[in-house]
Amino acid sequence: MRVRPLPVRRLGDRLRQLGQDVRFATGRLRGRRPSPTIARPVRSHRGEPRPSRSIQPRPVEVVRVVRETPDAVSLYLREAGGAPLAFRPGQFLSFDVETGGRVHRRAYSLAHAAVPGREAHVTIKRVEGGKVSNHLNDHAAVGMRLRVLGPSGSFTLDETAEHLVLVAGGSGITPIASIAETALLAHPASRVTLIYGNRSEADIIFRERLARLADEHPERFRLAHVLEAGATDATAATAGRLDGPTLMARLEALTHADDAGTRYYVCGPSGMMDAVRTALVAAGVPTGRIREERFARPEERTSVGPELGAQRVTLRVDGRELELVTDGDTLLEAGLAAGATMPFSCAMGGCAACRVKVVEGQVVMEEPNCLTAEERAEGYVLACVGRAASPCVVEVEG
Amino acid sequence: MDPENLLKILPDPVRHRVEPYFDALEVMTSVKDPKVLASLGPASVRGLVFQRGKQGQPTLIPATHDAYFDWSYPSDQPEMLELYRRAKEGQWNGETYLPWATDVDPLDPEVPVIPEHFLNFDAFEEFGVKLDARERAQLRADMLAWQLSQFLHGEQGALLAAAQVTEAVQFFDGKLYGATQVVDEARHVEVFHRYLDTKLEKLYQINDNLFVIIDALMGDSRWDMKFLGMQIMVEGLALGAFGTLYKLTKEPLLKELLRNVIQDEARHVHYGVLALREHVNHHLGEGERREREDWAFEVAVLMRNRFRAYEVYEEWFEHKLTRKQWQHVVDTSPGMQEFRHVMFSRLVPNLREIGLLSDRIRPHYDRVGLLRYMEGKAAHEVTGDQMLAELDGRPQLSAA
Repeated sequence: MRVRPLPVRRLGDRLRQLGQDVRFATGRLRGRRPSPTIARPVRSHRGEPRPSRSIQPRPVEVVRVVRETPDAVSLYLREAGGAPLAFRPGQFLSFDVETGGRVHRRAYSLAHAAVPGREAHVTIKRVEGGKVSNHLNDHAAVGMRLRVLGPSGSFTLDETAEHLVLVAGGSGITPIASIAETALLAHPASRVTLIYGNRSEADIIFRERLARLADEHPERFRLAHVLEAGATDATAATAGRLDGPTLMARLEALTHADDAGTRYYVCGPSGMMDAVRTALVAAGVPTGRIREERFARPEERTSVGPELGAQRVTLRVDGRELELVTDGDTLLEAGLAAGATMPFSCAMGGCAACRVKVVEGQVVMEEPNCLTAEERAEGYVLACVGRAASPCVVEVEG
Repeated sequence: MDPENLLKILPDPVRHRVEPYFDALEVMTSVKDPKVLASLGPASVRGLVFQRGKQGQPTLIPATHDAYFDWSYPSDQPEMLELYRRAKEGQWNGETYLPWATDVDPLDPEVPVIPEHFLNFDAFEEFGVKLDARERAQLRADMLAWQLSQFLHGEQGALLAAAQVTEAVQFFDGKLYGATQVVDEARHVEVFHRYLDTKLEKLYQINDNLFVIIDALMGDSRWDMKFLGMQIMVEGLALGAFGTLYKLTKEPLLKELLRNVIQDEARHVHYGVLALREHVNHHLGEGERREREDWAFEVAVLMRNRFRAYEVYEEWFEHKLTRKQWQHVVDTSPGMQEFRHVMFSRLVPNLREIGLLSDRIRPHYDRVGLLRYMEGKAAHEVTGDQMLAELDGRPQLSAA
């Protein structure tokens, strides 16, 4: 048997609809017609996209592939829809690349100058045994679609600097080249000194681009190559390994004098970076004027995860407290999944956009990451690589 | 007396008031088959005379279909299961996947949202209507907003119809697939609405003829009629419209939006072909098959003849042009011609594939000039990528 749903009410609905129909049909005959457009209610989408609720990368397309050296390849990228990629020189993109059935996340710095008309690209050097760098060097092709997050990172051009001293080793040149070229093109009052170390001449990335910049800006740009092997007069390079003494000798040869308007940017292998930092500090450069970008080889990174077990986390965010249970997932993953508004950018421990404060309990992070010793001492952790190892109270600072 | 001539002798203000009724009358008199008239007639009255879609209040359309349960969970349609799998992998987030930060200026001549020649501006001149460059740009932007508004309303129809179809379909694998289509349609509503709301900042009312089709198939109790209406006809219309706009627009956000939507829509039509091919060829009697064949023909003609942006006409030209003159402008506009071409080159082969283009009906298609699309590829033979490649004018890989 069929139950009739509230026949009286339905009859009332029908009658009302009939009345409305008749009004519309006769209104038209009297010359009234509905407006062709709909008066829009209050906008439901305001301005820029709201912070994402999940760590979801966006697609970019490879539009050109340029081999820079036998071991390094540049991928020119186009954002979906062709929108220009806004970034600050020195920043990087996080790439999710699938090889061997797994998705790996890697950071690659944008190498082009942040001036209009330059095509966005990253340059990727083979890492021995590196899954992603070798995959991209071997298989990158026009039309390939990659998924990215960012740009991220605070290793960026200080526009107030009068003199930029840039120290790069190997593929560390990518953010450095972007910083150098942007400063030369967009900040005419600045001067740039670049010391660039490589194994041999064949390993020099952007060799011609750097030489051209030196030709075009002879008064403002000084360039010195350091080569471990094969330094000749023709290469105009110093022989040796780029370490503290070599750096200081090169700077001295260039009659460099440190002053308060000088900023130092260092990017390269960690051994080189440690040596350079030590030498600069010994020469009396305050650490506040030294900026470093460290990319750990992913193979060297510690991983922490499921062995931590389920932990209760209280997340203070947006002026309220959210109770979560994390089960091996990061604070960022767990927070976003619970609907919290949490800032993040690179999602791989490289930019500190997701920094949160641990009020109570223990959080372990994948190491190394970009958090400074001072920040650690104050109780900060990176939510994107941090996992609760005990019950915790964590605060997302507005 | 011929209604056409009657209209001509009426004074302008009176003619404007009665023209829509003549339109409705034309639909009903052009449908010859009484069964088809029984399906489309009441919907035409509700849509064209009462203008239910424009009454400024939510519309209630009673559902009459049966929800079909199967507690044995049969593996009945491997091809639909494959579509289900592809649909799951093809999901995308409309909020983060599209470059919403793109600045859209619909009047910017450097980045035309639709090309200069989309409308036949010469025809306006012939009818004595002068438009300066700015007015032309504004009119093009409004035509785009009208089209996208109809997409949006159509997608709302698709969202609710996909949910009904998922309830009613009698293949279990079809139900699983159908759920992904419901999500797809919700995403399309989301992205079209957001584009109109934040970029064009304009929203047109639903076109009365689109309302008629949605009303007719939402209220029909037969699941295969819903399929035919939604999956083949309305989705076919959508693919035609999206494809044309994708091909013509230079606006990067819209292009990317349409690219992603087309990929989804290609699956939807494919599903319609799979379900109906089986049903029409093996489960329907000849009488029932004929009825559907006639219904599809009438709706195809309705779609060909009646998407004429009358809402834009009312806003811009109500006192400058007659509806007949506006019809002429629209019918001779290259953009609208392209739209019909893309639409029917997808739709007609699909009707052939599901068995609704028998020798009996072909002369009718021939009469209205649609039989030339007969030899094209049906949905199960073309992927979304191939459709996009065709629209881009890229060389295509041979179809598998």
